[in-house]
Amino acid sequence: MSDALSDHGSDIQQDDSQEEDVMTPAELIAKLEEAWLNEKFSPELLENKSEVVECVMEQLTHMESNLQRVKKGDVKASVHRMEIDRIRYVLCSYLRARLQKIERFFPHVLEKEKSRAEGEPSLLSPEEYAFAKEYYANTETYLKTVALKRMPANLQTVDLLKAVPEPCVDSFVFLRVKERQENILVEPETDDQREYVVDLEEGSQHLMRYRTIAPLVSSGAVQLI
Amino acid sequence: MFGEKAVELIRELHRMSDGQLPAFNEDGLRQVLQEMEALYDQNQTDVNEAKAEGRAELIPSIKLRHCCLLRNQRCLAAYLYDRLLRIRALRWEYGSVLPPNVRFHMCAEELQWFAQYKKSLASFMRSFGGGEGLDITQDMKPPKSLYIEVRCLKDHGEFEIDDGTVVLLKKNSQHFLPRWKCEQLIRQGVLEHVVS
Amino acid sequence: MDPSEVEFLAEKEVVKIIPNFSLDKVYLIGGDLGPFNPGLPVDVPVWLALNLKQRQKCRIVPPDWMDVEKLEEMRELERKENTFTPVPSPYYMELTKLLLNHASDNIPKADEIRTLVKDIWDTRIAKLRLSADSFITQQEAHAKLDNLTLMEINTIRTFLLDSLNCMYKLRSNLQPGSSKGQFTDY
Repeated sequence: MSDALSDHGSDIQQDDSQEEDVMTPAELIAKLEEAWLNEKFSPELLENKSEVVECVMEQLTHMESNLQRVKKGDVKASVHRMEIDRIRYVLCSYLRARLQKIERFFPHVLEKEKSRAEGEPSLLSPEEYAFAKEYYANTETYLKTVALKRMPANLQTVDLLKAVPEPCVDSFVFLRVKERQENILVEPETDDQREYVVDLEEGSQHLMRYRTIAPLVSSGAVQLI
Repeated sequence: MFGEKAVELIRELHRMSDGQLPAFNEDGLRQVLQEMEALYDQNQTDVNEAKAEGRAELIPSIKLRHCCLLRNQRCLAAYLYDRLLRIRALRWEYGSVLPPNVRFHMCAEELQWFAQYKKSLASFMRSFGGGEGLDITQDMKPPKSLYIEVRCLKDHGEFEIDDGTVVLLKKNSQHFLPRWKCEQLIRQGVLEHVVS
Repeated sequence: MDPSEVEFLAEKEVVKIIPNFSLDKVYLIGGDLGPFNPGLPVDVPVWLALNLKQRQKCRIVPPDWMDVEKLEEMRELERKENTFTPVPSPYYMELTKLLLNHASDNIPKADEIRTLVKDIWDTRIAKLRLSADSFITQQEAHAKLDNLTLMEINTIRTFLLDSLNCMYKLRSNLQPGSSKGQFTDY
């Protein structure tokens, strides 16, 4: 067995300029899985995690290139190959979930990006932003050429922001609490009910409206399940 | 009745099950646009008359026609947009080359939209890993086991697995291949998963 | 979420195997495994255990809870209590299925275990349906779901969430075409 695969437990160094400490590859994969489930279950697009995506890509590429040097049919190689397949699945599924939301809500996603305050983190990675802009232009051009420009003069535009459905942040979601939270306000469902507050104990699971806990998803205090 | 033809376009899509793309109804589209033109012309005439001669009794019919115009516009946009969503789904199902019978159902502008969508998606996927790229249209299902047994349903030619080995996919031949490598070929009907 | 994805997550759980081969430590991205020595038990994730088992390279040691007596106790408790009792593993159902389908020869009284786990599952799903029903009729805005597993949540996810969304739309009396949903709402 070659030693090509033996240098792998080592930590990956985050960008030097960042104050964040070293994250082990295992922690990195856990981060990716969290982001994956959150993105899968949240009704709206979440903040991008491109640094996690890029680090995972690096890990995969590095491992793949090491595997090239290992002879076929080797048990060790097949274990690595299986792990790569699993990680790549989560990575692709995560990116797909985001892209689907970008396509589904493209006018709203772009609007949010436009009105973003300086210093506020961007929802979209630069590549996603480029994709969303192209998607918008492409779709707008299409509607124009095929129908709108053949319509009466006062009907040649469609406001895509109004025409394309918005994400429904009032949807219910299932969640698990990672860091204890106090006094989370639960809004009433009907007029004859009253609002109340709940404490979210660490490890407990809940069903409630996404709107109520959206900031806790971003901060990592709760995990959508 | 006004708006009837536009709704018929939508019904046409609604009747098809998800993911199916009926032929682009250019004729239906034209008829709706004609109806819109007629409504608009009539309104122009009435508006002028209402203004010039102070005929306020014309206003309700003007309003009604305008509602019909908006409704037609909305229905056409819905028809066209829903078709785009179906076409988008085809990219994920078939890969970047659509089967001829599907292309046949698309209008020229849809083919253009599709070409641009493919381009945007490709450059998006190329951007990962410092330009190395990641094909996110693969790995659609969680990996189950490392290799699966597949039977070849038609001649496909040579096929490279990532360890560099090349297999010849000949009709009726059976192979033991990495599952994720053959996913798309299974969806395209080139390979069939042999379940033991 | 597709059930195959819940199963995928279940496969990350750790199980003990007894290998019949030797192999040095394997440095995976997600952590180290091994070393593997013939006859010596070692912890591995389920996905690897199943693969090695398929290739006849190991014997799988069933988890402690996968035991007729323990499961019988759990079944009784589950039937007696109105609430959801704690489960032995957050993936008890998937693990039972995976291990019994691929390594039943390593699990004593496999058939009895299958039935017991199915009984526990059925009891819990019946409770879950009742609570979902009362959640909707009471028009609740929050529910605590401790001890429920992901697979259990998954069985009602789409139906419950779609119903709640639908009711919300009816209640808030959204005018079609007013501001949202023009394209989807024909």
